[in-house]
Amino acid sequence: MSSVISSSDPTPIHLDHVRLLRGTTTVFGDLTLRLSESRIGLIGDNGAGKSSLFRLICGLDKPQSGSVSVWGIDAQSQPSERVGLVGLMFQNPDDQIIFPTVEEELALSLSPNGLSRKVNCQQAREVLTARGLGHWAERAIGSLSQGQRQHVCWLALMIASPRSVLLDEPFSSLDLPGRAMLDMEIAKADQQVIVSTHLLDHVRGFERVIWLDKGQVRADGSGASVCAAYEADVAARCQTQHLNID
Amino acid sequence: MGSFYSDHRTWLHAVAAPLKLLLLAVVGTALYVFNSPVVLLACASLCLLLFASLGRATLPARKLLIMVVAAGLLITAFHAYLQQPLVGVISALRLLSASLLGIALMLTTRANDLLDVLESLLSPLNRFGIHSNALALQVALMLRFTEHFFIQWKRLDDAHRVRTGKAGGFKLLAPLTIRMLTSAQRVADALELRLPP
Amino acid sequence: MRLNCGFHPEFPDRLKPFNMTSSRSSGLAYVSLFAALVAVFGLIPKIDLPLGVPITLQTLGVMLAGCMLGPKKALQALLLFLLAVAVGLPLLSGGRGGLGVFVAPSSGYLIGFPIGALATGLLMAYLPVNSPRRAAVSAFVASAVGGVLAIHVCGVIGLVTLAKLSWTQAFWGTLVFVPGDLIKCVLCAIVVHSVARGLPDWRFGGRSFQ
Repeated sequence: MSSVISSSDPTPIHLDHVRLLRGTTTVFGDLTLRLSESRIGLIGDNGAGKSSLFRLICGLDKPQSGSVSVWGIDAQSQPSERVGLVGLMFQNPDDQIIFPTVEEELALSLSPNGLSRKVNCQQAREVLTARGLGHWAERAIGSLSQGQRQHVCWLALMIASPRSVLLDEPFSSLDLPGRAMLDMEIAKADQQVIVSTHLLDHVRGFERVIWLDKGQVRADGSGASVCAAYEADVAARCQTQHLNID
Repeated sequence: MGSFYSDHRTWLHAVAAPLKLLLLAVVGTALYVFNSPVVLLACASLCLLLFASLGRATLPARKLLIMVVAAGLLITAFHAYLQQPLVGVISALRLLSASLLGIALMLTTRANDLLDVLESLLSPLNRFGIHSNALALQVALMLRFTEHFFIQWKRLDDAHRVRTGKAGGFKLLAPLTIRMLTSAQRVADALELRLPP
Repeated sequence: MRLNCGFHPEFPDRLKPFNMTSSRSSGLAYVSLFAALVAVFGLIPKIDLPLGVPITLQTLGVMLAGCMLGPKKALQALLLFLLAVAVGLPLLSGGRGGLGVFVAPSSGYLIGFPIGALATGLLMAYLPVNSPRRAAVSAFVASAVGGVLAIHVCGVIGLVTLAKLSWTQAFWGTLVFVPGDLIKCVLCAIVVHSVARGLPDWRFGGRSFQ
């Protein structure tokens, strides 16, 4: 996989001494991360902060202190630029589909370019046709299966050509063939892809995997080693719990 | 209640739900019995004091309160336009008092407690052939859906922000409706399996 | 090894029709849903038009209930809403609730809610809805007559009897809110148009429940 970063580019994603509170809970105490690799996995228990990390990068949440920058731009201060640089796919397609038909949904991703909706719909149709999905253009979202809706979300993400793409648990609602297809799409993608998942096999081959535990980086290294470490930890915890119950 | 329930505990959290509802009903009705602006001003001031005593707990409802104040001002202007300025002041004071109490109730009472009160209030209707259980269930569902609307609105708004850099606003009403309709179908299916025939 | 799956362009589209199990639970859920929608509109901090004309959005909820559910279920939804308000739940716009709101001068409008929903639903049940555009136009007409006319008539009657206004005063007073309400009718039509395209199997005006 060729590197997407040249030496003159700014760091794709940089979190610097970030502190994030949610209500009365501290999500991140003091987090510093530089994410430059082209394929990064994010693993950890539920509630470890994986989704919060993604939300910080996309500017949805504002840190109490510290800074988050995306390709040299502060994630919070310039939303219209940030939109063209980083995209996020939520876990559930129904949480993010805004328009009733496929072509309109894709056209929304293009709307920051300032062109008319008609022009953007036309471009969306071209993109669909290029992928052999021209007949999807006027399909109602409600008539698509879950996997197909997720594919629409993926296309909506890609059509905006962001330089970094964040996927939050993308595999969990897909069937086996759907997962295989998504793996292939991820492998084909030119941009930086960061995947948060519980299905470790999909990120085991990544060059870097980060294990988050209660808002802190517990391990950070090659996919194979970090996944193995996490699995061992989970097994050990289950064993201890099992012994405690008896 | 729902997304307006505040985790910061105040003295009002400890008061029992039936008592709070009764207070709301009594004061709410009394507001419309009295016509004197002086009495209503005193009442509104007391309500304001009660509300302010909740301190930090009022944070989730700040925007709602601003809307109420704006509505009050508009009502005053509206009645001035009809050449009845005093009526406008009276109406605005009533609105303010009722809203402050209602919001205070929402901030400090769990939905479940309110539903318990509802169920006991409705149970006498059973002898008239009205199924109080079904009604209470529907109100419970209604509250759950209300909460869910806000959650779902926020999620769609987040998705919109990520993709366009701007807030969604009214554009989200249509996808929200579609989403909630499909949710309702799933809820209906679940109920069908669990309700007695 | 060839993978046969949903992304493959030649795989036949799996059409997932919007399944309406016409059961008792179905009706129950939808009635609660639209009662909740009216409540939500009462709780969101709303937007004002540039001239400062207020839009209390709850009547939009009434219109949507009528268009989507039809007369019978929309009436039930609004009655459920009023029941919840009567008990004391603070669901009326601004967080008001309790029996007190029924003796307020504006209670005519409140009584107008279920009547407006019924009227909107009745019209929607008979107007053409067989294409998204037709459904949207029908929704506009239904909500203008049901949502606006019916609610304002009830409101005026309320103002005259409870606020002791003269018929003329009440008429002119209520007229102020009509432009805002017509905008809501447009919003209602837009939502209906989107639902018609996004859920092609949804039948408006209560036809789904027959």
